[in-house]
Amino acid sequence: MGGADLWDDVMYVFRDGEACVSRGGGSEPERGPRGASLAVGVSAPRTMFRYQSLEDCPLDEDAFQTLGEEDEDIDQFNDDTFGAGAVDDDWQEAHERLAELEDKPATARELEDGAVSDEMDLLGHHEENLAERLSKLVIENELEDPAIMQAVQTQPPMQQPGGLNSSIWDGSAVLRRIRGPLLTQILCPKPVHIRAPMQQRYPSPYGERMSPNQLCNVPNSSLLGHPFPPSVTPVFTHLQRAQLLGGAQAGRMSPSQFARVSGLVGSPLTSMNPKLLQGRVGQMMSPASGFRAFFGAPPPSAPPPSQQQQHPPCPGSHLQNLRPHPQMFRPDTTHLHPQHRRLLHQRQQQNRNQHRSLNGSAGDRAGHRSSQQEQLRKDPYANLMLQREKDWVSKIQMMQLQSTDPYLDDFYYQNYFQKLEKVSAAEEMHGDGPKKERTKLITPQVAKLEHAYKPVQFEGSLGKLTVSSVNNPRKMIDAVVTSRSEDDETKEKQVRDKRRQTLVTIEKTYSLLLDVEDYERRYLLSLEGERPALMEERKQKICDMYDNLRGKTPGQERPSDDHFVQIMCIRKGKRMVARILPFLSMEQAADILMATARNLPFLIKKDAQDEVLLCLLRPFSLVLYHLPSGTVTSLLQQLANLPQSVTAPAPANLHLAAVLQNKFGLSLLYLVLSRGEELQNSNAGTELMQDNQWTELMSMTTRELLRIPEAALAKPVSTPSNLLSLFSRYVDQQKLNVLETKLQLVQGIR
Amino acid sequence: MLSFEFGLCINCNQCLIFSVTTNADLTSLPEKHLVLLRDGRTLIGYLRSIDQFANLVLHQTVERIHVGKKYGDIPRGIFVVRGENVVLLGEIDLEKESDTPLQQVSIEEILEEQRVEQQAKQESEKLKVQALKERGLSIPRADTLDEY
Repeated sequence: MGGADLWDDVMYVFRDGEACVSRGGGSEPERGPRGASLAVGVSAPRTMFRYQSLEDCPLDEDAFQTLGEEDEDIDQFNDDTFGAGAVDDDWQEAHERLAELEDKPATARELEDGAVSDEMDLLGHHEENLAERLSKLVIENELEDPAIMQAVQTQPPMQQPGGLNSSIWDGSAVLRRIRGPLLTQILCPKPVHIRAPMQQRYPSPYGERMSPNQLCNVPNSSLLGHPFPPSVTPVFTHLQRAQLLGGAQAGRMSPSQFARVSGLVGSPLTSMNPKLLQGRVGQMMSPASGFRAFFGAPPPSAPPPSQQQQHPPCPGSHLQNLRPHPQMFRPDTTHLHPQHRRLLHQRQQQNRNQHRSLNGSAGDRAGHRSSQQEQLRKDPYANLMLQREKDWVSKIQMMQLQSTDPYLDDFYYQNYFQKLEKVSAAEEMHGDGPKKERTKLITPQVAKLEHAYKPVQFEGSLGKLTVSSVNNPRKMIDAVVTSRSEDDETKEKQVRDKRRQTLVTIEKTYSLLLDVEDYERRYLLSLEGERPALMEERKQKICDMYDNLRGKTPGQERPSDDHFVQIMCIRKGKRMVARILPFLSMEQAADILMATARNLPFLIKKDAQDEVLLCLLRPFSLVLYHLPSGTVTSLLQQLANLPQSVTAPAPANLHLAAVLQNKFGLSLLYLVLSRGEELQNSNAGTELMQDNQWTELMSMTTRELLRIPEAALAKPVSTPSNLLSLFSRYVDQQKLNVLETKLQLVQGIR
Repeated sequence: MLSFEFGLCINCNQCLIFSVTTNADLTSLPEKHLVLLRDGRTLIGYLRSIDQFANLVLHQTVERIHVGKKYGDIPRGIFVVRGENVVLLGEIDLEKESDTPLQQVSIEEILEEQRVEQQAKQESEKLKVQALKERGLSIPRADTLDEY
């Protein structure tokens, strides 16, 4: 039966007037409805019928009567819910009061004309303006978008009667408004009661309450040569203006108060026109931003008739006192870069000087005005952006710069400045003149707030919504990683994978390296107690790095060089090794050196395109200077690729030959030789002298050097000066001379 | 007069800071600004409006084409630039504006110069690509990279 389901009781009323009830649970009434005769079937909840069982239901002549009784109950229910019996809740009153808001404009007019009655709104304030009240209800938003602000004000302009009738209108309204400021804070500017459509930009400058009969000044700098023809001038509705002026709450400023200050200063003030509006402007003060009191001279001529303007009152004495003070309020420039701030002030100074010079002639208003007007005429499009809007944009940009960890977010800038500071500190120590001032932009630093993401919940609902968002991502696809079996892979794939493995290793090691390099800074920033822990971490990371480089020892006594060589084949790997070397211990570093020397020809071949091996020279040399003689010997051995036991020297040592032909190889060889010579000259030199190996290695080396054609010889990075003396120990004079010329061991003029 | 001072790229997010300054009075003329766009164009005009995305409204804009030591100006009127296309924005010092070693030429001439320059560049690019192809390498074009 329509919407009734099986379990409802259904009451049938038949055409012949009979009614019957079908109990829920059954599909057919006691008396089956005969299709055509059925007038209506009403499904009724069980409770309506107080019968619990079929037996109770008197399906007879009494039925109607019983139903009739039930009707009364129904009536009572109705009454309780909707009628007089309903409990009068508070919500009703609240609702009415809220409704009042909407009624206000409609009734405003009557009220205006009638007696001045106290209009209390929800806040208990004396407001007669919907906009004001609404603006007060609006949650203060730091980021109020000027665009949104404009969009909110969509009320149609209220056409007000013109002319002399206004006095009646204004009187009561203004009276009411006078009471306003008594209640509200000073920071809340008062609305301006404006009759006619106005130019968009105008100030509300007065520092004090005016008497209602004084006019509000609304000069408009874009008046002269406004980009849009006067007929299309954007009209500020009553509401909009009120919003602008009255909408600001503590801490907020409406744009119009500040926007055209510069415009205002120079803009012409029309002479007082008693016909036009009266209004009052409350005091606006905001230390936080550039508030400029408006002071201007009345314009030279009456404004064009097409534009109704508001004119300043004849300034009261208080105003006149303020009048000759053209200084602009110092805007808040803390967020500017110090250099910018300085520039700005400089420019302000300049302008002020210019201004003063213009005004020099005993405040010659007319002259001053005209020149300013001229400037205005030159650029009628100036100040298209209100000051408020500009502040808003820069506020957003400053917010974007807020960072909890500037070192992380702004690494390059911070580092750059640190370097500069170091340089200037060094200069200072040397007693240079006044150092160049390096000022740094100080961005606001916010404490990091921990946000625990709470999924959205509704009151009284059962269960939670499953919502996937940026903060709370959900798994959508079950992706399982399956590793391929070894058999399937071809050789190429294996090679590729191996290379990929190496790349991954390099990346991991690089992160470790960056961390280790960063420890110094962290150390300085940390507390005393934390430092040992930091040191431990650092050591651990260094060990990890080394392990990564050499490949985790699979239990062999000597790990193979393979892993290392793979890393060294990749450009990034070489660079990384160069950076890691300073952190390694002596044994580890020597080990790396050995491995490099051992595989040098191969690495040279691989490095043909990159030529990055040279970056290793510097750290290698640093390591070399700490190596003991035994190690040096072994190193040379590696370079020459001689086995431990000396065999009969081959006619040509290919390993060494390759080394000699490469810039890096040769440079490295020179370094090793130079170190050996140093050791020989020093106290520990005796060891080396006694070392047979060293002598043999030297003879081998010199032999190779002599053998190799000069053209094939590489050009080393630098030729150490002590090579000559080194060679002199092992070769005779004739060969020495040959070596000399070949290797250009003697530099400069003989 | 209101003026903007030019932007600094100070963090990795590359947000431009405009320090919005207000001058004391109107005796100064409006400042011209120079905008560099991502496609390499240079626009010069009076900056009238800006927002948090660096969308710009330029008034009496002039597109300046530089070729070698010469430059030419094409007047363009009012420009509304979408913020994502702005590389940098700077204020032009009006006193120093005329103090350049560059020589201004007519529009036709500068366009011709530009065309010649583009042609030369294209040819060298073609040769490069050819050489690389012979070696089995290929460098993706910069403009396609730009998307990512």
